[in-house]
Amino acid sequence: MEQVFPFGFPAASARYLTLYVLTLAVHVVFMHYVIAGTGWLAISGILGLGESSLTKTLRDWMPAALSAAITAGVAPLLFVQILYKHAFYTSNLLLFHRWMSILPVLIVGFYLLYVMKSRQINNWPLVARWAVVLLAFGCFAFTGYSWTENHVLSLQKSEWPTVFEQSRTFYGNAEILPRLALWFVGSVPTLGVLVGWQLRHSQNNADEPIAPAPSVVATASLIGLAGSVLFALVYFFMLDGDVRSVVTGRAALLYFLIATVGLAVQGYAWWRQRGDARWDVRWLGLATAGMLITVIGVSVVRECLRIARLDFAALYAEHEAAAGKSGLIVFFVFAVINALAIAWCVRLVCTRRSAVNARVDSGEVT
Amino acid sequence: MDAGPLPYYPINDFGPAMKGMVIGGLGIFHVFIAQFAIGGGMLMCYFQWLAMTGRVPLARKFLDGFFKFLVLVSFVVGALTGVGMWFTTIQISPRTIGMMVDEFHWIWATEWTFFCLEIVAGYTFYRYGSILTDKARLALLGLYSVAAWGSLFWINGILSWQLTPGDWIGSGSLAAGFFNPSFFPSLIFRTIVSMTIAGLAACVVVNLMLELSREEKTTLIQRAARFLMPMVLMPIVGLWFFSVLPEDSRDWVMGGSVAMTMFMTIAVGTSMLIGLYALVGLIGQRLYINGATASLLCALAFAATAGGEFVREGVRKPYTVRQALYSNSLTGEDVARLRQVGSVTHDPYPLENASQYPNEQLKLGAKVFRMQCSVCHTMSATNGLTHLTGTWTMEQKRLNIAQLQRTKSFMPPFAGTPEELEALVQLVTWEHADRPTSWPVSTDTDVLNRIQQWLDDVGTESGLKPGRLLAEAG
Ligand code: HEC
Ligand code: HEM
Repeated sequence: MEQVFPFGFPAASARYLTLYVLTLAVHVVFMHYVIAGTGWLAISGILGLGESSLTKTLRDWMPAALSAAITAGVAPLLFVQILYKHAFYTSNLLLFHRWMSILPVLIVGFYLLYVMKSRQINNWPLVARWAVVLLAFGCFAFTGYSWTENHVLSLQKSEWPTVFEQSRTFYGNAEILPRLALWFVGSVPTLGVLVGWQLRHSQNNADEPIAPAPSVVATASLIGLAGSVLFALVYFFMLDGDVRSVVTGRAALLYFLIATVGLAVQGYAWWRQRGDARWDVRWLGLATAGMLITVIGVSVVRECLRIARLDFAALYAEHEAAAGKSGLIVFFVFAVINALAIAWCVRLVCTRRSAVNARVDSGEVT
Repeated sequence: MDAGPLPYYPINDFGPAMKGMVIGGLGIFHVFIAQFAIGGGMLMCYFQWLAMTGRVPLARKFLDGFFKFLVLVSFVVGALTGVGMWFTTIQISPRTIGMMVDEFHWIWATEWTFFCLEIVAGYTFYRYGSILTDKARLALLGLYSVAAWGSLFWINGILSWQLTPGDWIGSGSLAAGFFNPSFFPSLIFRTIVSMTIAGLAACVVVNLMLELSREEKTTLIQRAARFLMPMVLMPIVGLWFFSVLPEDSRDWVMGGSVAMTMFMTIAVGTSMLIGLYALVGLIGQRLYINGATASLLCALAFAATAGGEFVREGVRKPYTVRQALYSNSLTGEDVARLRQVGSVTHDPYPLENASQYPNEQLKLGAKVFRMQCSVCHTMSATNGLTHLTGTWTMEQKRLNIAQLQRTKSFMPPFAGTPEELEALVQLVTWEHADRPTSWPVSTDTDVLNRIQQWLDDVGTESGLKPGRLLAEAG
């Protein structure tokens, strides 16, 4: 790792690393929406904060966000197997039932999101409503935990035989919880950005500023940012000294700085938004830019840490062999066609919706 | 293919179940749901067209009702169980999925772009369909259907390659592997099945729509039943599929293996029942179909899927990728090498309950069993070795296991040393004797020499009919 990521690696490895990191970043954005969003719904339900456009939006969009998180997870799942086949499969196998259980758990979680959206639930007793939202959050938290556990285990090659022999349900490792906490706390500002745009959109459709004021989202995001810094530090100091030095090494330093700048930019943007009674595109835009570069920066630093902890050079030959397989052109062609088709779907809906809104405004439709 | 040292993975014990049954079991759900999501999209397209062209205005009610929700749920659950299939394959044979990913990752990535389109088109229709123009609705449904069918198109290439890799063996060409001999028959077959499942499910849903009168229901059901019509092609496509199957797989299904034949009979029998009912009753006689019958037909379709999936998993034996990788994750080259060095000599994973074995030889046998046999056998439950060898003498066990590919051509050749084989034979015998607490170690060099002789006699090649293999390679 003598050059800036991904340049210090052979072409084939660099190609898959880049694809992996970019697709993972997309997964992270949606996964954050799900974790922080259901977390927020759980907290506001239990504290009895009542219904707001925020909770309504979250509940309304959560099934779609979950689908997006899952769909976006498939792409890095493909590349992680090309990059780290043996380690990834081994930790999957060692976790066995526990690992497989994330799928039924996600199906249950998906179903609960629809229960949360249904009209009938309003007639249920409070405890039942709490149970539904807590359970939904629990499903996604469990899934996140399992991914982190799997990741950490995949890096502990020397422990594999013992872990197999003991066949415990959970793989205990002190690294897991702080790492997970970092992902969870870091999800709040990402949610802030996404839901900020959604709320701004509905603000445009109505005359009254809609509760909760942007300052609530901004404050939560600021707390999330502060928490991320805190847990990042905790995690950093838990790592071995030589692994730690990777963060400031050639490959990762630039990305570490990018992520830090991203955090600062988000902090500034949320700070300014906090004082505003209405959503402001400038601050939202800035927070979005900051969030995106933070997520990418963090994804790369995370990857450099992994690379330093396994014998990456031994995998070059496998990457090379995979890169020799054809099909890239097919992928590019259909990626472009399907991206255009997706854009068209979105356009269809957007133009139609503004037409409907215009008719509503002019009193044609009520 | 892997030329380096064997990649050892921890091998999990699935209890009394055969590993193939686990993947087959999940496969049934996944395939059924995912195929419904594909056919469901097509059916919605058709109904949208019926509604907007004024042919059946009523179709709109159906479209904006429960069916749309069902399709939505099934494409998400289909996606999750799809990831589940992936994870299960990792559990059962990491090396198989590794080889598939290496070979076909761009195809998978391509499939993923279709999948993204499917999600976006599906959700936008679900959410905004009611405020869109008819043309826009049809466009979204059309895109959804193309995308959903597209993902079938791509995955079908990879799955059919496992069974009939065709000219890929030898040339390594992606196109040859993808458009392999069973690609088209299985694509067409699965498309027909998707339409059938959707047609049947639509009949169930229409029956559940309380707001419709009996006549209205009949109108809709007659239309939905048209989706069952392609079933007339099933026998032809089925025969086509059979004609491209490797001869040994075909023999397997046609009586060679009781279990395979049974699953095949279920699949064919239930499909024929559905087809007959559809053609004679629904289409020919314009019968009405009530909720119970529709549900029953759905259940039959499920049974057909079940039979089909088990057959698909089963007929590949002894390979997971024909001629490239055996079911127990060993390649042909591995077999030859492991006969020299031993299959578990470098296996870093201990036994899970080592203390239950009275001596080291039995422990070795247990490791060999885990490595080479456990993917298809249990020790004393489903397809259990103690039952299969129950009446055999020691010598018979030694000979038949040494010449495993000759014993049954759907087993891979034994891939270890004579010492390992003797250890395995001792283990099976010890298990058969109900696990006594002490057990003698067998060290007779004559025995080992005889085993070596048998191993040499049978060679390291697969036991499938040589003529057929040569034809495939040429
Ligand atoms: C690819 C899957 C597969 C693998 C791997 C496999 N077997 Fe089999 N084996 C089978 C099937 C299927 C049968 C048939 C069972 C039946 O007839 O009911 C069978 C039958 C047998 C029989 C009975 C044969 C007879 O003539 O009745 C024995 C003994 C046997 N296997 C031993 C082994 C041993 C020992 C190993 C490991 C070294 C092994 N098998 C590996 C699939 C496999
Ligand atoms: C709501 C559900 C999910 C949540 C909350 C979630 C959460 C996470 C988290 C926290 C990580 C980071 C692990 C770490 O670095 O410590 C992660 C990584 C990942 N996730 Fe998800 N995930 C979800 C669903 C999925 C699904 C369904 C897939 C696959 C289709 C997926 C694919 C991945 C992949 C491939 C990685 C990278 C793993 C690695 O490199 O080790 N995720 N996910």
